[in-house]
Amino acid sequence: MNVAILGCGGMGRLHAQMATNCGLRISYCADAIRKAAKGLADDFNAKAVTDPLKAIQAEDTDIVVITTPTPTHEPLVTAAAEAGKHVFCEKPFCRTSEDCKKAIASAEKAGVTLFVGHVVRYFQEFELMREGIQKGSIGKVGWLKLFRGGIFPGVKGSWFRDYEQSGGVTFDCMIHDLDWIRYVFGEPERIFCQAIMRSEPTSLDYSQVTMRMKSGIIATVINTWAAPSGFKVKAEICGSKGMIQFDSTESPLGAEPRQTGSGPTMFVPMSPVAISPYQLEWQDFIATIGGNHTPRVTPQDGLRAVEMAEAALKSSSTKQAVKL
Amino acid sequence: MVKIGIMSFAHIHANSYAACLNALPGVSLAAIWDDNMARGRKAAKEYKTKFVKDLTDFLASDIDGVIITSENSKHREMVEAAAKARKWILCEKPLAPTMKDAKSIVDTCRKAGVGLGTAFPCRFSTPLVEAKAMLNSGQYGEVYAVSCTNHGQYPGGWFADTALSGGGATMDHTVHVVDLLRWMLGKEFTSVYCELGNQLHGKSLKTDDLGSLHLEMDGGIQVSHLASWSRPKSFPTWGDVTMEFVCEGGLITVDAFNQKLTVFDDGNEEVRWENWGDNADLALIKDFVDAVQSKCDPASTGMDGFCATAVTEAAYKSAKTGKTVKI
Repeated sequence: MNVAILGCGGMGRLHAQMATNCGLRISYCADAIRKAAKGLADDFNAKAVTDPLKAIQAEDTDIVVITTPTPTHEPLVTAAAEAGKHVFCEKPFCRTSEDCKKAIASAEKAGVTLFVGHVVRYFQEFELMREGIQKGSIGKVGWLKLFRGGIFPGVKGSWFRDYEQSGGVTFDCMIHDLDWIRYVFGEPERIFCQAIMRSEPTSLDYSQVTMRMKSGIIATVINTWAAPSGFKVKAEICGSKGMIQFDSTESPLGAEPRQTGSGPTMFVPMSPVAISPYQLEWQDFIATIGGNHTPRVTPQDGLRAVEMAEAALKSSSTKQAVKL
Repeated sequence: MVKIGIMSFAHIHANSYAACLNALPGVSLAAIWDDNMARGRKAAKEYKTKFVKDLTDFLASDIDGVIITSENSKHREMVEAAAKARKWILCEKPLAPTMKDAKSIVDTCRKAGVGLGTAFPCRFSTPLVEAKAMLNSGQYGEVYAVSCTNHGQYPGGWFADTALSGGGATMDHTVHVVDLLRWMLGKEFTSVYCELGNQLHGKSLKTDDLGSLHLEMDGGIQVSHLASWSRPKSFPTWGDVTMEFVCEGGLITVDAFNQKLTVFDDGNEEVRWENWGDNADLALIKDFVDAVQSKCDPASTGMDGFCATAVTEAAYKSAKTGKTVKI
């Protein structure tokens, strides 16, 4: 099968590699910035285009990967579905829950596979936590806290820095945690959120959320795009018989190159695994195409995650809890 | 020689304060009174002082000040008795479970002309003192958000008896951080939203064992705070006080008790953290003794205790109504 990559930034490149690892061929790389499209296309022997519709409608495209800014997801999913192409859509699924519903309807009407990349469900450390919880190794869970984040993504002028487009750390990044919490602990009852969403003088976002699940479990989530450097993930899950903690800064591998010129160097922690979570995600997606396999993440899951993130942003502006 | 008495050993912190009094020069633990005689006698023996059975006799003695470490809801009556006897007072936190009682405590001491302190030892924690200095230096600019925790193990006993404690983990583990933020930032709290849980101990507790709070301070600073009895019995230490300050000029992170050794102890089949940092309790008690000598209020006053109680009272109200509550 042939894959068209729409949006040739970091995630476009990552998914091109994962698709290639799964034995697929990259046919097109589309990006409004020709240089970006060409850079990725050259590395994967694909054709570079600036018009995404050209890549979508090409005969030698079977799968469309959408790694463009979030507000463009819905029209691109719909265009791909109408062209009869299967879709791998990066999270957040769409910028609004209305758009998510439109995208789902388009895919259902066309009978194509639609997958939303909530990759945290495939992360080995999160899977081991989920297994531990479900085995009852810490008894009945009452509370959990997740932390995720680091430096504000994108350079000055990037769509990430436009809160209308990206929704900030709450919508773009915390959606991972909101989805995983719902995956493991069921439906949420209500959500409260405080997000700073600052642009001047510096783009900084920091989001603090408490979510009450229908089960009564309380989930606290802190996400940052306000750190001066790096990226880290922490988890803490408390049950009636114990607690599970995870901290990504405790890694099996690290490197710190010696600086020959002036200025400080930085320690870079690494945590390699033989099969990356993104690869597992792709295997799950491919198995879903044309078969009876239900993937770990369904479009409905993608929609619910957007609804939760929307509710969080609403709470942040009203300063009251929002029922889900 | 300054003479200090301790009223009640109901609160575990009494043990640390007694040890501090014995360790400091120029001060003596002159006597112990306790409404639980067996507990008081045992403590008197352990800390090599005398136990006084009758409260009137205890307060009529020549002690200069008292440390009150009773159950939370008994603070008021004990402060009233001590103030009447014109003793300087250091009261365990929370000053009282309700604003009404806290205000009464403050008013009583003011009228009696005695000094009143609320025991907030975190103000004397060296890493926290340094953090305050960094925040106040201006180098980090404006503070936009703070994420805090004060977790602990379940203390048991009266702590989960609302009649004596006034509330659970949120009552127990919110006031330290509230007081720290008021002190470090020089700003007051304006609102709070709070979710309470009581499922960490199989719903066996009548009080909350977890509070997840979202607060706002003057100028719109967004604060989240987790107060809990969530640390398992097998956890290597009692708990923590952590804070992350998100500022225009960068981050300041505090894990106040993270000056530790990890000890793998086969004899007791446990792994534990042993703290080698400065003893904040010792500095708290020294500050109180200094206040007794110079006839002034300790560093963290009764009013500071009242302000912290105002926040917990609003948090419980928020949890009950599901609304954000103004403070």
